Amino acid sequence: MRLDQIKKGGLFRVKEVDCSNDCIARLMSMGLLPDQEIRLIHEAPLGDPIAVEFNGCHMSIRLSDAAGVEVEQIQ
Amino acid sequence: MSTAEKRIRIAVIGNPNTGKTSLFNTLTGLRQRVGNYSGVTVEKKTGIWNMPHGQDVELIDLPGTYSLSATSLDERVAVDVIAGHEADSKAPDLVIVVVDVENLRRNLFLASQASELGVPMVIALNCWDVAEKKGLQIDSKLLQQRLGVPVIPTVAKRKSGTDELAKAVERAIETRPMMARPYWPDPVKKALTTLKDELVVKRGESLREGELQRLIFDRKSAVRERLKTPASEHEPIIKAVRDQLYKDGFQPDAAESTLRFRFLNPLLNDVLERQAALKKRSKSESIDQLLLHKFWGLLVFIGMMYVVFQSVYTWAGPLMDLIEGGVGWVQGIASDALVSMPMLQSLIADGIIGGVGAFLVFLPQILVLFFFISLLEASGYMARAAFLMDKLFQWCGLNGKSFVPLLTSFACAIPGIMATRTINDNKARLITILIAPLMSCSARLPVYLLLIGAFIEPQYGPKVAGATLFAMHFIGALVAAPFAWALNKTVNKGRKPIPFVMELPHYRVPQIKLTLHRMYESGKEFVVRAGTVIFAMTIVIWALLYFPRSAEVENEIRAKYGITNDTISVSNVGEQIIANDLEEAISKQIDAAYLEQSYMGRFGKFVQPVFAPAGYDWKITVGVLASFPAREIIISTLGITYALGGEVDEESGDLRSTLSNAKWESGPRMGEPVFNIPVALSIMVFFALCMQCGATLAVIAKELNWWWATGSFFALTSIAWIAAVLVYQIGMLF
Repeated sequence: MRLDQIKKGGLFRVKEVDCSNDCIARLMSMGLLPDQEIRLIHEAPLGDPIAVEFNGCHMSIRLSDAAGVEVEQIQ
Repeated sequence: MSTAEKRIRIAVIGNPNTGKTSLFNTLTGLRQRVGNYSGVTVEKKTGIWNMPHGQDVELIDLPGTYSLSATSLDERVAVDVIAGHEADSKAPDLVIVVVDVENLRRNLFLASQASELGVPMVIALNCWDVAEKKGLQIDSKLLQQRLGVPVIPTVAKRKSGTDELAKAVERAIETRPMMARPYWPDPVKKALTTLKDELVVKRGESLREGELQRLIFDRKSAVRERLKTPASEHEPIIKAVRDQLYKDGFQPDAAESTLRFRFLNPLLNDVLERQAALKKRSKSESIDQLLLHKFWGLLVFIGMMYVVFQSVYTWAGPLMDLIEGGVGWVQGIASDALVSMPMLQSLIADGIIGGVGAFLVFLPQILVLFFFISLLEASGYMARAAFLMDKLFQWCGLNGKSFVPLLTSFACAIPGIMATRTINDNKARLITILIAPLMSCSARLPVYLLLIGAFIEPQYGPKVAGATLFAMHFIGALVAAPFAWALNKTVNKGRKPIPFVMELPHYRVPQIKLTLHRMYESGKEFVVRAGTVIFAMTIVIWALLYFPRSAEVENEIRAKYGITNDTISVSNVGEQIIANDLEEAISKQIDAAYLEQSYMGRFGKFVQPVFAPAGYDWKITVGVLASFPAREIIISTLGITYALGGEVDEESGDLRSTLSNAKWESGPRMGEPVFNIPVALSIMVFFALCMQCGATLAVIAKELNWWWATGSFFALTSIAWIAAVLVYQIGMLF
């Protein structure tokens, strides 16, 4: 499953990140690394971008970039 | 050696939203200087901090960044300053890293990167109070022990902890404590040694270990741009080192984050303690449930933007009227005092005082807007607004942060362009600045009202008139969309896109003192830096409209009325009134003749053929040309050319009927009315799209440079001309 496909309410774990994407590289320096837990907190009114929470950060990320993060549902 | 060179220099770094600027302001008071780093549009803030033992140190407020990966301008500036590569200055004596207690792990990542640059460090644990309230406890002593540098709890807002910070800094200047650094695995060490050997030993580059790391770990490090070794030579070297690291089992782009967090995590064991009572959902999250809601969030957003727009548009109005009134009053005094010297009178009253008034009048709008921007930013709402609007802007290379500047530009492009400073992506900022003048500002309104009132409303009624006014406000935005798209495809081609990931920070209560300071700074910068240019431009336009002013023009008009000398002889009161009316009519005729004879008037006649395809005669052309410093000038210019005097306004019935009755004086259409519906529409469209505002040009030049200002002037003027010609030509087919 990719980060752009996750739904509200569930808890997810990062499996793999595409570090050639600049957005993701930036999120990695904030702690978005494999095994990090992550959840979806908001979707913008037009569906894009989304806001996710991980490692205590609330970050807005566009769907096209979120597609570079592989996650699995744990809850 | 001067004292400035001996002065201790301390750089302050930290993640955005850590209260870094708040701490900087607390430490320096308002003794700050704001400038730019040489060659880049990153704001450079420095200030003086009085230490308890009487020493003055220079504080440098570096831009807030999450990492030193040096892909954005902000990050590059941070690396350059800390490593001592900023023009004319050595590395700072100390770095203060401002760390938000609530996001300790992430914040220490930046501190750890900075430690690699080999500068002594003190850590300020900011927002201590908020963390305590949330039941978060941090053992700062233990953290200090593990990191090897002083860790001082502070609350910048309440000035608490600043004395302790000062003491720690004084000691640290002597003892030069360095933060513990990760123990890198062998492949990384090997990569560092190889790169150091190639670049530093063999090629004489001066690079610190932290900078070598940047070259290895960051795919597009800005540190490369600074190397003396040509790209053809250094690129293969860096690539070989990165390839080798990959072969050794470390993906270079991911290695740093993985390894650095692996180093930091155990350091934080037992340092952080969350009390059991810690609420699952923070206050910010609850607020976001409403403010980022798909429906209610949008509604609140629209409401908030309505308030911002209304205040810039209307609440600044009384202040602007006051300034205009004040300028008019001073003009009156000056004209009365200088009545014996007509040229000096016109220069001082119309040129100089009018010129000062021309830019002072924008000040209330700038202050009002920056009041709101400061509140929106300090509270944390600005990021939410950008989040809500981002999708609308993605396709043309902009992002959600362009919304507030563009909305503001509907009131006035000047505060709008100044507001683009909140956009940290330079590429998006550039496009936003260039399309901002297309938003229909309030100065265009008088032009629309005059022409709609004179031509559309009498013929089609109020409904069509209202629709036309509405359409005029949107035509600019309609043209702006493809213009932005084209700009993104051409001008920005090949430029590094800045990733749009944005933190949604915790909501905070804005500090009124900082808000006022922000208003003061933006107002001052506008008056001092843009004001001088606008002033110079208005003087030039004044001269073009005034000279050559040969006395013959006046004599000819008087001769036409059969008056040879200046006074008209009168014998009774009735004759006196007639004589006064006559004198007034004559003086308006004289003004009209002077305008026709001025350099501007002659130039207008000369270039009229250019505007002929849009249906303009020489009078409209002169009006258009004279309006380049400020578009609303067209009304008074038309008033003068049609001998109604310069005091007419858009509601003036005289002006409206005069325009309706104006006939072509020569040429193939002699005797036909000059103004018809297509001409009126064509003028309105021209004004909607054209860059007729000296103040906007000056602000663009200040925010970007004169090349962009000149370029956008010609681009928008051409677009306006093409659109005006199309409207007229198509309109004439019906």
